[in-house]
Amino acid sequence: MAKRITVGWLTSRLVLVLVVVFAVFPVLWTLLNSFKEVVDIVTPIPKFIFTPTLDNFIYVFERPSVKVGLINSGIIVGVAVLIGTVLGVPAAYALARYKLKLGDDLKFFVLSLRFLPPVAVAIPLMSIFLDLGLYDTRVSVILTYTLLTLSTIIWLAVPAFERVPANIEEAGRLDGLNPYAVFLLIALPVAGPSLFGAIVFSFILVWNEFMIALMLTTSEAKTLPIVASEFTLLGRNVPWGILNASVIVLSIPPLIFLGVLSGFLNRVFKK
Amino acid sequence: MKFKNNLPVVFLTPPMILLAVLAFVPTIAALVISFQNKELGRTGTQFIGFDNYLDLFSDRRFANAMQVSLEWEAITVIGTMLLAVLVAVLLFETTRGRTRALLCTLLIIPVLLPRVTAAFVWKFMFNPLLGIINYPIRELTGAPIEFLSGLQTALISVAVVDIWQWGLFFGVILLKLLETLPKEPFEAAKLDRVKTWELYAYVAIPMLSAPIISLTFIKMVESLRSFDLIYVMTRGGPGIVTETLDMYAFSQGFVESGRISYASAMAVLMLLATIITFTIIFKWVRKWQNV
Amino acid sequence: MKKFNGVMIGGCMVATLLSSAVYAGVCSKDIKVLAQPRASLTLLEERKAEFEALAGVSFNIDFLNENDRRAKSRAEASTTGRYQVYYIDEANVALFAENEWIVPLTDYYPQAYDFADFDPGRIKVGSYGGKLYFAPIQGGGDFLYYRKDLLAAAGITPPTTLVELKKAVAALHDPANGVYGIALRGGRGSGANVWRWMTYFKGFGGQWFDGDTPVFNSAAAVKATETYLELFKYSPPGTSTGSWTEVTEAFNSGLVAMIIESSPLAGMTEDSKLSKVAGKVGYTIPPSPLTGGGYGHGLAIGAKANQTEQARECAGLFIAWATSKEQEMARLEAGVFGDLNRSSVFDSPEFSAKYNSEIASALQDTAKVTSINYWPNPDWPDLGDRWGIILEELITGSRSDIPEALDELEDYAIKLIARRR
Repeated sequence: MAKRITVGWLTSRLVLVLVVVFAVFPVLWTLLNSFKEVVDIVTPIPKFIFTPTLDNFIYVFERPSVKVGLINSGIIVGVAVLIGTVLGVPAAYALARYKLKLGDDLKFFVLSLRFLPPVAVAIPLMSIFLDLGLYDTRVSVILTYTLLTLSTIIWLAVPAFERVPANIEEAGRLDGLNPYAVFLLIALPVAGPSLFGAIVFSFILVWNEFMIALMLTTSEAKTLPIVASEFTLLGRNVPWGILNASVIVLSIPPLIFLGVLSGFLNRVFKK
Repeated sequence: MKFKNNLPVVFLTPPMILLAVLAFVPTIAALVISFQNKELGRTGTQFIGFDNYLDLFSDRRFANAMQVSLEWEAITVIGTMLLAVLVAVLLFETTRGRTRALLCTLLIIPVLLPRVTAAFVWKFMFNPLLGIINYPIRELTGAPIEFLSGLQTALISVAVVDIWQWGLFFGVILLKLLETLPKEPFEAAKLDRVKTWELYAYVAIPMLSAPIISLTFIKMVESLRSFDLIYVMTRGGPGIVTETLDMYAFSQGFVESGRISYASAMAVLMLLATIITFTIIFKWVRKWQNV
Repeated sequence: MKKFNGVMIGGCMVATLLSSAVYAGVCSKDIKVLAQPRASLTLLEERKAEFEALAGVSFNIDFLNENDRRAKSRAEASTTGRYQVYYIDEANVALFAENEWIVPLTDYYPQAYDFADFDPGRIKVGSYGGKLYFAPIQGGGDFLYYRKDLLAAAGITPPTTLVELKKAVAALHDPANGVYGIALRGGRGSGANVWRWMTYFKGFGGQWFDGDTPVFNSAAAVKATETYLELFKYSPPGTSTGSWTEVTEAFNSGLVAMIIESSPLAGMTEDSKLSKVAGKVGYTIPPSPLTGGGYGHGLAIGAKANQTEQARECAGLFIAWATSKEQEMARLEAGVFGDLNRSSVFDSPEFSAKYNSEIASALQDTAKVTSINYWPNPDWPDLGDRWGIILEELITGSRSDIPEALDELEDYAIKLIARRR
């Protein structure tokens, strides 16, 4: 069938281009700005051609607060995701595979945790952690984030296990494997790729989390989004180039997972 | 089963206890604090009964914040779903194979950006004097549009960022769902010379109504987290036009004054409202999907 | 010359050796500072090695923008209090001192660093209850900055009264050609829109409180607000929710004919790297009856993080080093005009060589009209921020009834006072 160029065909292509520009341009523009001197940013006519500088990135990486934020984010997010995975994946398996009296209620309980407004969690927790002397420590943020990672991983991992064909588990059972071995040796490897996506999703969720960290930390346990927001909101003589660079630095880790996540989506929706 | 299987108990008890503790302890604490007059940096906290709640009912900023939060939910959920459908249909109709895969990857980028950084990226583009969005507007009309300080434009401008992140992402998900649909109705429709939009409006989208409703529900829950965007882009301004409930609670607890108890009372009301609303919606969605 | 350099270096080394001998052992761990970004503090970071040689420890500064620095330092000081040094301003020194989140500075500021050298106006705003709390980083009053070229072209002389100012602003306003009459702060905050509004309020004879009774709901406040809103018609886009950053950026990029702002802007305006209008700007005092907004920001010793006398001495040493004459001379050399506070620096030949006599005489003149416009009370930030939001609503047009707005603030003030009892 030969393609005919019609008005409809042209419009749809044009809209497609617009959508892609809408998606990508803001990020590219920020990337471009992060290599500019302030004079090249503060111009009435936007500049696309300029002499690039690395000064903005050097400044960002030399700030002690960025180092602290990076270490804090790494530890806090790492531990919270680890706990979420170790406890959440088996729980999801149990919910997916076993007909339990309370199964539906537990599933709904886990889901309902997503409805909790973060501000409603953060204000009382701040008060509790202050009383316990845990305020502005990594432990307090890890505990709070575990609520997020654990509930998200269970919520996303249940469907992953439900998609594992029941008959291969049955075959394993007939081979004399006990229920734990069935989980470890059969269900886990089959559901593995989808589970990985669920874990990545929870990682991104807490890596980008802002409000709870804002309320539970002041100096020692500050995470990277807090540090970045401090950069981006610096008032006097706004160093625009530096702000753009800090945005890029903060965005790199989640973007690394882009490939992982798009792979996850492909797998989930493959028949 | 042949033997007594303790796997569910072993696998479920620790995480459920942990979740229950992490969820109920702060909830109960929020309730207790809301009946006190706790303030940051002030000692001598007392119980004052329902005073905070009574104050809230005569607080015009609280009433305003409820309205703004509802508007925010409506704008972002509807905007996200419309953009998602548009993107999915567009990609499904006009792209194939590798091009499609590449475009999908590009469209996921926005949702992966930390919200604070996404907010800054757009705030900078909206800037009336330096922003690139205002450059053509200024050239054409002579005056920039003050997106983030205009009464009519502020909330929508912040919502654009939310829709930018979620609408494109959901578009990719919907596309993947479209790909799973059987080919026959599409081919039959083509033979019948059915118009493209009719095909989607009457055939494809209804076939996907269950997942679309689930996605809408997920987005409604996600839209509750508007704080990061508003915090970076407008701080609730101009005036209190974009001041959502979480922004106002934060403001009362940490920024303008340290009224932790007052903020807590707000948080408790928010908690009640969201739990009740979403439970009802969720049960309704479930029932609807099972029919 | 070489020889001279050698002597200089030798002298410095001896001085460093001596001073490190004097202050050795005072400090035992690195100093943490919570501050807002200032060019002078960035300069300090570049000279970290100097402090390390002096005290044997290093320091880290966490920067937050002005509004956030205020909010966060209150939240932080009232809870964990982990910073040894806080950046404090005139508007929250009362709050911090009253709650004992900071300790008086005098006892811990080493004699050798000559506190008395600071400009008396700065010392005044850094005091509360008769005690001195911070060593100034920046401060001053207001200038009326005007574009000499634009005023000359329009045949307008620099306005000396508010009436003249209004006329001149209207005459110079020409947005089609990229010139706005004036730039005003519209964004919320006791240190933002309220800060500028207060110069009208006080200029018209307004008062905040009579004892515990609010008296600000007056004709002066109505007139101040009306005037401010009227002038806002000539303020460039982005300023209705903007503050210092937006208005100074607009002025320095040549979009604004006149602006009444804090004196540090002069240093930026004359720096051709930051400004397109260097050399085109004239300086004078704000038109009468406006008062200048007297302000001062500085470094104070945290109470919680410095439990021992020794820790306080260490924090004091850091503050003294950071605000020393040597640092101020370095700021002068780097063109950080806004962060000069010492009389000996203003009087130095280096200062007159660097800045034209116009700025110097404007500095002297404006000191005479500078006053304390805010309510010096621990509750000022709370009250001021509330008015900031209401004022922002008025400026952006989501409300228009000025008396009703002031009534609302009065209600808030009465409740605030009642809660404190």
